[in-house]
Amino acid sequence: MTTQTKPPPQSSSALNVSVHRFTVDEYYAMAEAGILAEDDRVELIDGVIVKMAPIGSTHIGSVNSSTRALTTTVGTRAIVQVQSPVRLDDATEPQPDLALLRDRADFYGSSIAGPEDVLLLIEVADSSVDYDRNEKLPRYAQAGIPEVWLAILPERVIEVHTEPVGGRYTQMRTFRPGDTISPGCFPDIALPVTEILPGQ
Amino acid sequence: MTTEAKPRPAMELDVRRFTPAEFLALVEVGILASSDRVELLDGVIIEMAPIGDPHAGTVDVYTEMLPSGVDQGTLLRVQGPLALDERSRLYPDLMLLRRRADYYRSTPPTPEDVLLLIEVADSSVDYDRNEKLPRYAQAGIPEVWITVLPEGIIEAHTEPSGGRYTHTRIFAPGDTLTVGCFPDIALPVSEILPG
Repeated sequence: MTTQTKPPPQSSSALNVSVHRFTVDEYYAMAEAGILAEDDRVELIDGVIVKMAPIGSTHIGSVNSSTRALTTTVGTRAIVQVQSPVRLDDATEPQPDLALLRDRADFYGSSIAGPEDVLLLIEVADSSVDYDRNEKLPRYAQAGIPEVWLAILPERVIEVHTEPVGGRYTQMRTFRPGDTISPGCFPDIALPVTEILPGQ
Repeated sequence: MTTEAKPRPAMELDVRRFTPAEFLALVEVGILASSDRVELLDGVIIEMAPIGDPHAGTVDVYTEMLPSGVDQGTLLRVQGPLALDERSRLYPDLMLLRRRADYYRSTPPTPEDVLLLIEVADSSVDYDRNEKLPRYAQAGIPEVWITVLPEGIIEAHTEPSGGRYTHTRIFAPGDTLTVGCFPDIALPVSEILPG
């Protein structure tokens, strides 16, 4: 186990106490020891192991459709990673719905993608929209992820967040069915919103 | 990277909770160090505040004053584990326990083994009052004293019913405390809280 700086304990508003926080190394040791099971749908946010909401069929459809839209347009120029972890820092490893990663020969098989590898993240949100917007988005900005799309199922809108500065995205544009979106990393691509939010 | 404070998850998040068995396994495999001062409350691993000198001294005074031993049929456990419920494993400052031949080596005490539980609180008073006390009541622990060092008082909570203690008495230096299960033993508060 490498030596890492633990995040400082932090008072939590609801419990009014300091919860113990884990590093990513400890998080993986937990899985190795069988304390976290393969079927635990969790992610590590600032040292706290957070359960992810169950994925509904609309959510699945959106992820599947987005995966096809990205792989067919991006081709071999980047790697489309689906619902797998991205390591933001020593204590934060979320699992965004989709990550467009810099092409790498090992397909990230030897080490998990870090913020510098990420070209674009997409989070599909239904009940989790507050969590995505309030907890995850600022952390993506802090880590310097250049572009995040928040695909909000109930409202059928996509928020495109760009230009991270000082722990927040300073640009946000909203797209609706009928619009197309071009990722900043591949301006030649124009994805119809309906391919990210395919409807039911 | 900027230096501004990172956002922190609020605990309204659906955190992955641990069972007491998983909590112990975290120590066994070395993810939690045995030197980590932590306890498990409702499946959440909580970091306990460091014990300051006034806190430690107060625990020592209680240790001398409380009626423990073979004659009383009790054991005094200091900052040791309590298996409160299936989601919690707590380390109260003091517990007067029913005496058991194996000193609870084989299994930790459960609420029905506890005659009196005492917490000494300095910075942790809100945690003790708001988080732990209702759970002690829920578990049916008959008597809990919260020794509030900053306020110089002892709150004696008794008669748990419906997840709360229905009777609370406040004691200050000059008063005398009695233990519910040992009514003939009187503890002068001024010795516990010298002011």
